[in-house]
Amino acid sequence: MYIFDGAMGTMLQQSGLVEGECPELFNVDHPEIVTGIHAAYLKNGSDIVTTNTFGACGLKLADYGLEHRVKEINTAAVRAAKAAIEAVKPEAKVAGSMGPTGQFIEPLGQISFDEVYATYYEQALALIEAGVDFIIIETIIDVQEMRAALLAARDARETLHKSKAEVTIICQFSFSEDGRTITGTPPEAAAIMVEATGADVVGINCSLGPEQLIPLVGRLASVTNLPISAQPNAGMPMLVGKETVFPLSPAEMGAYVPDLLDAGATFVGACCGSTPAHIAEIAKAAHNHSPKERTEVVPFTAFTSRTSFVKVGHTEKPIIIGERINPTGRKVLAKEIKEGSFAMVKRDALAQVAAGADVLDVNMGVPDVDVVATMKRAIMELTMLVDVPLSIDTLDPDAMEAGLKAYPGRPLINSVNAEPEQLERVLPLAKRYGAAVLCLPLGKGDLPATAEERVALAKEIVLAAYAVGLRSEDLLLDPLVLTLASGQDSAVQTLRTLAMYKETFGFPTVMGLSNVSFGLPQRPYLNSQFLTMALSHGLTAPILNPLNGTVKKAFIAGRTLLGFDPAAAEFIADYGHDEEVVPTGAVTAKQTEAVSFTSKDPLENIQHAVEQGEKELVIELVEKALAAGIDPLKITKQALSEAMNVVGDKFGSGKVFLPQVMLAAEAMQGAFQTIKRVLPESDGITRDTVIVATVKGDIHDLGKNIVAALLENNGYRVVDLGKDVDPAEIVAAVKREKATVVGICSLMTTTMPMIDVTIQAIRDAGLPSKVIVGGAVLTQEYADKAGADSYAKDGISAVNIVKRLLGDD
Amino acid sequence: MAIYNGRLPQIDIAEATRYAGLRQATDFPKQLVADACLEVQLVAAPKGVYEVYEYEAETGLIKSNPPLQLEGTSIRQHLAKATKVYVLAVTIGEGVELRSAELFKEGNYTLGLLVDAAATTAVEQVADQVNEIIKKEAAKVGYTTTWRFSPGYGNWALEVQKDLAAITGTDSIDLAVTDTFLLFPRKSVTAIIGCMPNGETMTTKRGCTSCTQVNCASRKL
Repeated sequence: MYIFDGAMGTMLQQSGLVEGECPELFNVDHPEIVTGIHAAYLKNGSDIVTTNTFGACGLKLADYGLEHRVKEINTAAVRAAKAAIEAVKPEAKVAGSMGPTGQFIEPLGQISFDEVYATYYEQALALIEAGVDFIIIETIIDVQEMRAALLAARDARETLHKSKAEVTIICQFSFSEDGRTITGTPPEAAAIMVEATGADVVGINCSLGPEQLIPLVGRLASVTNLPISAQPNAGMPMLVGKETVFPLSPAEMGAYVPDLLDAGATFVGACCGSTPAHIAEIAKAAHNHSPKERTEVVPFTAFTSRTSFVKVGHTEKPIIIGERINPTGRKVLAKEIKEGSFAMVKRDALAQVAAGADVLDVNMGVPDVDVVATMKRAIMELTMLVDVPLSIDTLDPDAMEAGLKAYPGRPLINSVNAEPEQLERVLPLAKRYGAAVLCLPLGKGDLPATAEERVALAKEIVLAAYAVGLRSEDLLLDPLVLTLASGQDSAVQTLRTLAMYKETFGFPTVMGLSNVSFGLPQRPYLNSQFLTMALSHGLTAPILNPLNGTVKKAFIAGRTLLGFDPAAAEFIADYGHDEEVVPTGAVTAKQTEAVSFTSKDPLENIQHAVEQGEKELVIELVEKALAAGIDPLKITKQALSEAMNVVGDKFGSGKVFLPQVMLAAEAMQGAFQTIKRVLPESDGITRDTVIVATVKGDIHDLGKNIVAALLENNGYRVVDLGKDVDPAEIVAAVKREKATVVGICSLMTTTMPMIDVTIQAIRDAGLPSKVIVGGAVLTQEYADKAGADSYAKDGISAVNIVKRLLGDD
Repeated sequence: MAIYNGRLPQIDIAEATRYAGLRQATDFPKQLVADACLEVQLVAAPKGVYEVYEYEAETGLIKSNPPLQLEGTSIRQHLAKATKVYVLAVTIGEGVELRSAELFKEGNYTLGLLVDAAATTAVEQVADQVNEIIKKEAAKVGYTTTWRFSPGYGNWALEVQKDLAAITGTDSIDLAVTDTFLLFPRKSVTAIIGCMPNGETMTTKRGCTSCTQVNCASRKL
């Protein structure tokens, strides 16, 4: 057990640091003060002192124009710490502090991963060169920043040929009261990620008091065997006048120490608000307590995202890796990606997550695209959109590295095969970026046909992985799925491979299903049968399409049958009411009940269907009515117009709401289009031309769009000039289109005067058109004053007013 | 100036339903609102920026460069106990507006309308995320924070938008203010959060109860 020190900043303030001054410059200008603070902590029980370099990376020093003095400031800091150690406690150690840059890495923020890495590398190099025993990356709230700093610290250590024992790297996050970092990372995901990326100690500091830290330390201990550090604040601060006051006294702080140690911490210290007196109490409490022994965590395989983690393995519930984000055989998706659009990629991602995918596979294999840039962008877009971990699926090592760098957590690498150049490139990437890696038993020669050959190839990969320092829990195995057409026992060999993998290695297994049924009918059915067999042979994470009901159901059923679904609760929840699936968009029994479409009068049925916004049904009913020889004009006047009147009245009295009015309008539109389609020569009711526009200076067009839609579906010819429209343009359009009515709107007080200007322009041009105005801030009085012919308070009123002004109906 | 772009792993369907004015329409198909939220997730490009300044409550002066004098009793009262202020701005980009207009053109009026409501929900969610970062950043040194107050609330005139945008640095997130003091892209928010010492708390609450538009269709009941 080690006792850390306490706060530095407040101690410096007490020694003369003023607001706006760079605290780290004290290392150079007043080293005796810094040494004095370290000495005070050492005298009070600290075993490790932390250098005054929290903000001494180039990016932070730039706030003071000191970015060119990184090495000088960090070296001076280590020197000041060592001077105290020499004088007070020669066996004590120095930890070189690296705090946050204060900027978020893209896409969450603006700065690049490489820039942040570079600034930390420069600082870590200076600290290690000056002789620190630890690098402590602290108060980090963004996993990407931690990854950049950790990689930088590791690289600097390697550059200077130091071992882990010589320079130990501590990774400390700050969590908020909700148990996550500000950017959403829970302690488990944070610990799994940093351990895989090579941290030597994981911990927590700042933001919370000791009481709140205890359960969080426990959560770290539940997923890692790494030593844990805990450095809480002296409670939650309050600003009194101009001074930040922390509530906990040294004794109160010390009282929490036994619980922190029992939860698993072996490095204890304190952060904001603490003093040497606090450290004295912490040290006393720690030395007087024999902590509970930590429960050893059995190593497990897991993937993490920014906000979550997923375990995978033979003792875990099988998980789904969604396969859809893959342009192979999907022309539209391939075209979109090539054109730089990620709309379908995002749609597929959200849909798969909603359908139960635990991890998403991301493949950007489109010919003739910049695969490195495309993978980077895909990973960035997806990590901003979904919470599940990702599997980066590419054969291109550069694209793989771009994806790994951009990924805020521990992803799956899909995949590495046994070819020497693949092993050389991909395995070190997995090690460097803390990824798990899927091993695919393919070598230079023929496809391995038997399970024995596949296991042999897998062994080669596993040994190569161990050689670069990867751990067992970093490795997953693919049994290789070939099409049945390639040999009648190909599926059997896959199943045998799964079983042999489980026995030989015990690692989690991953495989794509769909290859097995290539060229055969009933593929989802065949795939689903294969899936349940594979699950029973030791498949832990199938790559499949969760949007396919047959396959998804087989997966849930298989998981239930294998005992991973207590009391079959999940299966019952998902499929308990599933006998007859109602296709989306179909009229359900309940809806039909609520609507009376059973009148003997077909016009009444149409009217009711429009009122309910049942577009499909309206089309069907109109077709029937026309076939029965009912005059289209009669349909329009007696059914459609009547329906809109009813909807309008209900809207006016607050019984239906705007989206429901729009549903009715869509149904009405369906009716008009049907009449035109069935009887192209029918005149229907084509009425006058109406011009609509949002006035110059205003960019709100939703209300205008609604009015246009409603007018159109009442038979008017609508010319929509858009938003921010100049009065002259409106005047020209009125002349050109021979419009009898002009509707103009403005939503804001700041743009309302343009209503007056526009009306004046229409009047000045001597046009006879009627002018209707509307928009949130307008009133009848304003409309009158501006010289409008009428004021419409909403879309329904606008239609009624147009009808009235033109004498229609 | 700090950039925090925010994430949209989900859009609150209940909030979108409320913004669509459907809070009382219990029989309205939920799937349509969910579809609109999905459309917004696909095209939204969330971005956010914030900055912190000293503030003098007695005079209503934000000590930015150049300083900004706050006018209007509502904002001055809101910040009465503040000694520092955070100014923030978020946008979800123009894509959502274009998508809504496109849907109207295609005759999908309802979805077009709901996309607008879902976009409002999304921009508020992004503003909430930046607000949370600010709240926690301020809490670290012991400040409590006010809820965020935007131009247009109470009698705080929209005319402040240009100056507010300038001291927030909204050009870094491609958020502009029109000559008529509207934000462009339209689905954007600018706001001020006050930092108060001495554990002061707000007595008013953010949201509908403090808004004067009592007949608004989206008002929370």
